[in-house]
Formats: sequence, C-alpha cells, structure tokens
Amino acid sequence: MNADGSVSVLAHGLGGSADLPIPFTYALIGAAWALTFTFAVVALAWKQPRFDPEKPGRELPPWVTAAADAPVTRWAVGIVGLALTVWVGVAAFLGPQNADNPLPGVFYVLMWVGLVAASLLFGPVWRALSPVRTVHRLLGSKSLRSYPEALGYWPAALGLFAFVWLELASPDPGSLAAIRNWLLIYLVVTLAGAFVCGARWCARADPFEVYGIVVSRLSALRRNCDGRIAIGNPFDHLPTLPVRPGIVAVLSVLLGSTAFDSFSARPQWRTFIDETAGSAAAATLINTAGLLVFAGVVALTFWSAARATGGVDREQRRLLPGQMAHSLVPIVVGYVFAHYLTYLIERGQQTVYLLLSMDADVNYFLSLHPSVLATLKVGFVVAGHVAGVVAAHDRALRLLPKAHQLTGQLAMMLVMVGYTFTGLYLLFGG
Amino acid sequence: MNKTTALSFLIAAALLVAGCSSSESPSDGQATPSVTTVDPSDMQDQQAPPDRLVVDVKIQGGNVTPTNAQLKAGVNEPIVFNVDSDAADELHVHSNPEHSYKIEAKAGQSFQFTVAVPGKVDVELHDLNKTVATITVQ
Repeated sequence: MNADGSVSVLAHGLGGSADLPIPFTYALIGAAWALTFTFAVVALAWKQPRFDPEKPGRELPPWVTAAADAPVTRWAVGIVGLALTVWVGVAAFLGPQNADNPLPGVFYVLMWVGLVAASLLFGPVWRALSPVRTVHRLLGSKSLRSYPEALGYWPAALGLFAFVWLELASPDPGSLAAIRNWLLIYLVVTLAGAFVCGARWCARADPFEVYGIVVSRLSALRRNCDGRIAIGNPFDHLPTLPVRPGIVAVLSVLLGSTAFDSFSARPQWRTFIDETAGSAAAATLINTAGLLVFAGVVALTFWSAARATGGVDREQRRLLPGQMAHSLVPIVVGYVFAHYLTYLIERGQQTVYLLLSMDADVNYFLSLHPSVLATLKVGFVVAGHVAGVVAAHDRALRLLPKAHQLTGQLAMMLVMVGYTFTGLYLLFGG
Repeated sequence: MNKTTALSFLIAAALLVAGCSSSESPSDGQATPSVTTVDPSDMQDQQAPPDRLVVDVKIQGGNVTPTNAQLKAGVNEPIVFNVDSDAADELHVHSNPEHSYKIEAKAGQSFQFTVAVPGKVDVELHDLNKTVATITVQ
C-alpha cells in the first residue's frame, strides 16, 4: 500500500466486482414497454390536469407530527448525526489505512445511495441529520446576511459535480486521503456558508441536502399545507419541487453522472483512455470532459425539449424548463436504483460491518441471482420513465395552451425515451 | 357441489403426479446403459467443459500485454494468471471477496483463484495502474 493511504484505483473507489450486464432481451422488453407507455400516455391518457400540489394527503395521527417536530427529537437526531460524523472521522484518520477502512463505503454508498433510499422513504432526512446544521444551531444559529436568492441551487449543483468528479474522474477515487480532503473542504465550505448566510445556505447549497430534497418529492410521506405529516400520492407531491435557478443543473448532474458511470466502465472507453492519455493527469482531464459532456447533454436536451412548444410568449418559455424539472426526478431515482442497487445492499452491508468492526459475511443474494437483479434493474428504469412521463404530461396540460398540448409534449416525451433507451443500452453493455 | 369439485381436483392432481412419476421410472430401472454407438473415450473431449481459464500476462519495461482483455469464466471455475514480469508489482483481483498477489521480477509466476459471486471482475496491476483483464463470471 502507498504511503498516502491509497488503496487502489477502483471504480467507485470501493473494489469488488461490478454487476453483470443485463441480458439483451431484458433491455429490449424494457425499451418496448417504455415506448408503448409513453405514447399511450400522450395520446390516450387524461386531458385535464389531475395532480395538484395543493391537494392534502391523508393525515397521519397528530402524535406523529408532534413527535417528529418535537425539539427533543430534532436535537437527538442532530446529535446522532454529529456523533456519526465524529465516528467516521475518527475511523478515517485513525482506522486502518487500507481496504478495511469504512470511509469509502460510508462516502460512496451510505451517503450517496443510502441518502436516496432514506429520502424516498422518509422525506428529506439530511436536513435533520446534517452535522453542519447541528453545529450551526449549537453555536446559536447566527448569520451575517441573508442567502443571495439569485444563486438558487447553483452551489449545490457545483457540490454534486465535485462529488461525482471525485468518484468518476479523479485520479484515485479510492484514496482515503482524497476522500478526507473532499469531506474537509465540504465541511469548511458548508459551515462557513451557514455562518455567513444562515441555515438557508444548507437548504440551497449543501449538495447532500439538496439531493435529499429533490428525491424526497417522490416520497409518499409529505407535509400538508398546515404542516401535518400526511401520506399521499407521490404525483401530487412531485410538483412541489421548488423551482429555483440551477434546479435543472442539479438533476442533469445526477442523471448524466450515473450514465457516465456505466459508460466509463466500457472496455472501449478504457482502451481509449489508455491509448490517448499519457499520464494520470491527462486521463483525469479526459474523464472530467466526459462527465461534463454527459451532464451537459442531459441539461441541453431537457432544456430545449421543455421550451419546444408553440403558443407561449418569451417570458413563459423561459420559465418552462424549471416548471418541468420535477418530471426528471423519477427518472433520476429509477436510474440511480437500477445502477447502484447492489452497491447499496451488498457494499452497504460490508460498510456497516467495517464500521462496527464486525466479522460477518456479506449476503450476496442479488449478485447470486443475476436474472432477479436484471429484472429489478429494468423494472426501476421503466418505472422511473413511466412516472416521469406521467408527471410531464400532467404538468404540460396545466402549463401549455390548449391548442399546443399534444404537440408541445412531443419533444419532452422523445427526450425521455432517449434517456431511457440510453440507460438501458448502457446497462446492457452495448 | 363443492365437495365433488374438490374431489375431482384431487383425483386429477393424483393422476398427474402418478403420470409424472411413471414417466420417470424407466430411467431408474435401467441399471445398464443401452446400446452405445460411440466409444466413451471419444466423447470426453467434446463434453468436458473448459475446466479453467488461463491468462498469460507479460510485463516488460512498463508495458503490459494484454490490457483490457474481455474474458469469460464460470462461477467457481479456476482462473489462472501466468505472469512473466521484469518488475515487482501487485495483481489485484476485484472480486467479492478481493484477492491480491505479489508479483516479483521474474518469469513463470502463477496465481490461481476462483470467483464465487457472479459479476464483472477487474484484474489490475496496482503499481502500473493498468487493467489487465475484465472477467465476466456467470
């Protein structure tokens, strides 16, 4: 092992094997379903908007809201988050400086993929767990000025890009030193932001919190307008995604990077990197460019498709990409689960065992049953696609003028079919 | 009415089970193989599965052959890497669990392992930072 604590150059910095490609027939069946559903929705489905963010969900008993909002609960969860941070920090610096260190697993699996699962089930949990928020509150919740609204979610988009850059483009994603530095910079920036702009900095600029907020809009659990915790149709919840500058960038980074992860593992790309890049720095540059291209293509296609309709004036057209952005959320979540399910379940177990210094065997049920895994993956991609199409259709009915409701949706539907076909193609391995 | 339906189902099921078992029974009864037209020793080449995957790796002056080779192997099938090297390095096998072997600067080193969990397994040279092969294990 190197002196700087690097483990090895691994995909995701985690080691272990990658998923088998899904069989061709699975990809084909998934693609056929996605296509059929899309055009069925556009041509045959409802013609009046059905989903309403104002519609209250079914209220849970009052004690649930009371318990969740009690200061005791908030402080307890915050302190737990802080304690976990300290624990992982101690393990990162003082633990074994080799593959037995839990830091890469905590960083790449629990924080990145586990956060998606938790936010989908329980809502934006990072807000409660965030160590930065807890420290900020412990020190009196002070701030110097308000958050500049024009920044929107752009700082979070940058932070998310910094994360996927470390995972997919940096010279050594598995290096403990690199992950520690990344996390230290993240802590310093987020803490400084919180003390300058207040807790709103965390809500707008903390990449993990924004990721959690975005995913939580697909959750069945939500809050009604009066603040009561309720359970309701996720399609009513989705349009509550706040539309702020940079929201399309956030979603594009998430979708583009997941696709680039599949793409960069292909032997053709690896051979290309080996032949073109003379040094590790050049390889990093090429991968960074690749990552930017993937995120950029998603952003550009989505932005253009959202605007491609007749019958709206300049000002309305400018607003359309943000107003449609929530329909990308299911596609992102479906693709993230398709791509990282084994990581979450199998590496997740491994990480927890390492963190607890337990000597238990990881259960490789999913990897041992490739056809179950392939079915789940295709299922996630197609379900995400269908949900995205349904959400986009409904929003188009609300936004577009009557005469352009059918044609105005077409570009968006084609772009979504394009995302899904690309996703399935990458999962199938080409 | 209900009783008779249930009864007829039971009878049908019993007949089905009996039919299945009776169709299997001849193979149990045959203690000796029937007439063979092919000499068993001829068949072995055809029927024996490829019993192991062998990969020859050369490391010379910082160059590796092969790189990014796409190979296939079965679960629990022995995989052998024969390495001729002019430099010390480490061979990392990114399977679950992982394997790691020390390579010395000499010819004719051989490392054998099996992979129990299906997946795509990268085999990498740690110091040279090169992927020798990706083995698809199914």
